[in-house]
Amino acid sequence: MKSYLSMRYIVMLLIPALIVGYAILQWSKDEPRPKKIIVGVKAVEEIEFWRVLIEGVNTASREFGVDVSVVGPPREIQVDLQIQMLQEAIKQQPDAIVMAAGDYNRLVPTVESIRKAGIPLIMIDSAVNGDYAQSLIATDNFNAGQKAAVELAERLPVNAKVAIVSFVQGTSTQIEREQGVRSILEQREGTEIVGTYYSEGMEERAYEITMELLRERPDLDGIVGLNEPSTVGAGRAIGEQGLVGKVKLVGFDSSIKEVKLLEEGVLQSTIVQKPFSIGYLGIKTAVSLIEGDKVSPNVYTDSVIINKDNMYTEENQKLLFPFVEE
Amino acid sequence: MKSSQRIKSIQSRIASSFVMLVLFTALLLIFISYRLSESAVRETAESYTSELINQVNANIQTYITGMKDISLATMNNPNVREYLASSEELQPAELAQLKAKISEYFHSIRVSRKDIASINIFGEGGTFISDRTNAELNPYIEVSEQPWYRQAQENKGQTVISSSHVQPVIKGEYRWVVSLSRELSGITPTQGLGILLIDLNFKVINDMLSKLDLGNRGYVFVIDSQGRIVYHPQQQLLYSNLKTERLEQVLQDKQGGFVVKEDGASRIYSIKDTDFGWKIVGVFYENELVDNKKQMQLSFAVAGLLCLGLGVLFSVVISRNLTRPIKKLQEKMMEVEKGNFDIRVPVGHSREISGLARSFNVMVSKVKELMRQIMVEQEFKRKSELNALQAQINPHFLYNTLDSIIWMAESKKHDEVILMTSALARLFRASLSKGKELIPIATEMEHITNYLKIQQMRYQDKIRYTLDMDPELYSYLTLKVLLQPLVENAIYHGIKNKEGPGTITITGAHEDHMIVFQVMDDGIGMDEAKVETLLTSSGGNQSRNSVGIANVHQRIQLYFGANYGLSYTSEPGAGTCVKLLIPAIHAEERREKEGDMP
Repeated sequence: MKSYLSMRYIVMLLIPALIVGYAILQWSKDEPRPKKIIVGVKAVEEIEFWRVLIEGVNTASREFGVDVSVVGPPREIQVDLQIQMLQEAIKQQPDAIVMAAGDYNRLVPTVESIRKAGIPLIMIDSAVNGDYAQSLIATDNFNAGQKAAVELAERLPVNAKVAIVSFVQGTSTQIEREQGVRSILEQREGTEIVGTYYSEGMEERAYEITMELLRERPDLDGIVGLNEPSTVGAGRAIGEQGLVGKVKLVGFDSSIKEVKLLEEGVLQSTIVQKPFSIGYLGIKTAVSLIEGDKVSPNVYTDSVIINKDNMYTEENQKLLFPFVEE
Repeated sequence: MKSSQRIKSIQSRIASSFVMLVLFTALLLIFISYRLSESAVRETAESYTSELINQVNANIQTYITGMKDISLATMNNPNVREYLASSEELQPAELAQLKAKISEYFHSIRVSRKDIASINIFGEGGTFISDRTNAELNPYIEVSEQPWYRQAQENKGQTVISSSHVQPVIKGEYRWVVSLSRELSGITPTQGLGILLIDLNFKVINDMLSKLDLGNRGYVFVIDSQGRIVYHPQQQLLYSNLKTERLEQVLQDKQGGFVVKEDGASRIYSIKDTDFGWKIVGVFYENELVDNKKQMQLSFAVAGLLCLGLGVLFSVVISRNLTRPIKKLQEKMMEVEKGNFDIRVPVGHSREISGLARSFNVMVSKVKELMRQIMVEQEFKRKSELNALQAQINPHFLYNTLDSIIWMAESKKHDEVILMTSALARLFRASLSKGKELIPIATEMEHITNYLKIQQMRYQDKIRYTLDMDPELYSYLTLKVLLQPLVENAIYHGIKNKEGPGTITITGAHEDHMIVFQVMDDGIGMDEAKVETLLTSSGGNQSRNSVGIANVHQRIQLYFGANYGLSYTSEPGAGTCVKLLIPAIHAEERREKEGDMP
């Protein structure tokens, strides 16, 4: 009788307890704590590319309901600052880190410590030397370099001398693009690559380098600018030297300055990446990884060749002028 | 034994029934009210969303109507008309003055309207009037090849609204705008004189749309009549083919919206048409409609648990309160069971329980009374049996009888000795009757006969007797030794004191399920006072004999009830008659009954 009674009370308590348990289970299932993802970019102020990429990151974070914070040095050249910022990020124990490496080799220890901390890692835009990230989402930079080289080669005379204005030495994007450019131009009959010059990702520096280059090599036929500031700097120098149309310029990325250079005919073509897609896919892949899905180790986003003729098409407008501003 | 068949306590029954009741009603109520509030919230959200889209529609309409109004005002502006009608005839100075006036006019409009980016006229001859006097045309852009220009030409004076695009015609400016263009005509309507271009700053639309809140994933997009995107927050994803939008379906839709089920979530497309061909589409996710769903669920669950908790608590308290008096009653009953009859249960508040308690109290006191009565009766029974025993072997009678036998033996009256001794022997045998209380009337008759014989021999001719007994009665039962005390009394108090011989008559008859014995004598009789004390006396200073009579009476009443017993009628000098009533119990029937009940 006694045990029977207590049995009854246990059942009476058990029913609400079960309901509560079920409810808690449902809630925890439905609404997990928003996942925290830290995005490490190479620069936050300098280049429009990163602004658009961050826009893509924000769009994805809104869509997938994740908590995203973006960290990065003001300028691409500040690799030490980026390393320091990423070390800080590791301490916050995020659910994933999405990052672009400011340097192909110097970021390796940082990336190692991210993996050692057990944090899933997605690399975007630029990789590091080694196989650390679960996924790399980037423009196929080798292919983009090849596109740029083809664009330039079409406009070059038979025997041509070409210079490459690169940006920060040691980043994977720069290395791959240069390899892409060289793979085409070195195959071309009578074409000589006079050298690769580094602008450190700054327009002014690119301008100075190009001015000097144009003075030293008056026989130069073409320049490939491997990113936006390098291209704009080189374009300014060509314009100021009155060599428009004589020295062909093919560049990378987009900005109002590049648009003007395109209209003026200084810049023949520019290879525009899709930073919005890179940022968006970076977060999307990170979310998949957190949820335990398999992710592809390599995702290439495409790049688009933009020249004076197609720059105002509906699709390209949004790539060239990503922001609606007063 | 199965647990369901076990005896359950009322408390646990009440409590569990209450809990079940509370549980089910609470769950049902919560479920229903949750559903109701959810649908109410959903409806509110839906109407809010629809209202939102309407608002967007109205705002965009306002902007476009504003541009149209400006275009109309411009066409009717006398300066513009003059300029268009007669630009070739005017002197350059006058023309410049007119241009300045028009530019001034445009400027004043643009300043008053924040949404207007620029107002320009592109004349046929390459002339250009802008709202800003210092504006220059972009030298690298061919104005006449711009889509808005061509479409305005094609539409012959009708307004043309473009999709959103970058306007590169002004040097150094690359603004996102929506363009209204319209061909301006002079006096001859067929001859176009120029194109009016009004650019709406797309930022106003972009800002308005991007700030709309349609849940985390919901958004608004706008397409023009050709299905080109005017605004889409994920435009870049669409162009990169990372996402697709149902533009075709939106274009073809006539219902004002549709629902798309994809990846387990359903999206609701709400479409509003504007009168200039744009479609404004609100996309929201059904599961986000109720944005504080979790909070609502939580508050409902908390309320429900609170209800449940209170319900359980109350059930326990109520059931305990209800059953406490019963438990108390039960405890008291246990004490009664143990034999304590001096218990009073306090009468409670509730009617049922107080009634129960009252009845219990009455019952206990009744039981106590009955117990006392039984004890008295038992005691009396023991005493009467002893008395009966004493009556059987009255020592005086025995002594007198034996004395008579001795005396007769001395007188060598052997026959009398034998007669008397054998009568005495039979008397005792009849009175023993194997220890049974009830004996056949035949045995009783034998007993009384032998007694009378002995007395007759002792008193010689002083006593005469007649026995008038219906032989049918012999097989009925009676209590033993009933008649002897009566006869003894008749002899000692009636006949013995009378002069001359006396007669004792004993009759027996069957009347109405009763057997009636009568013992009559013609002795000295008694007065009424004596008669009355005869049956109630119980010892004391009464004679041993009258104790015997009272004992007979009480034994009959004890055995058969108050309806039976003795009744005396006597008259001094005439004699006494005692009537003895007992129920008619047949020996056979009695045996059968006893056989039935072992």
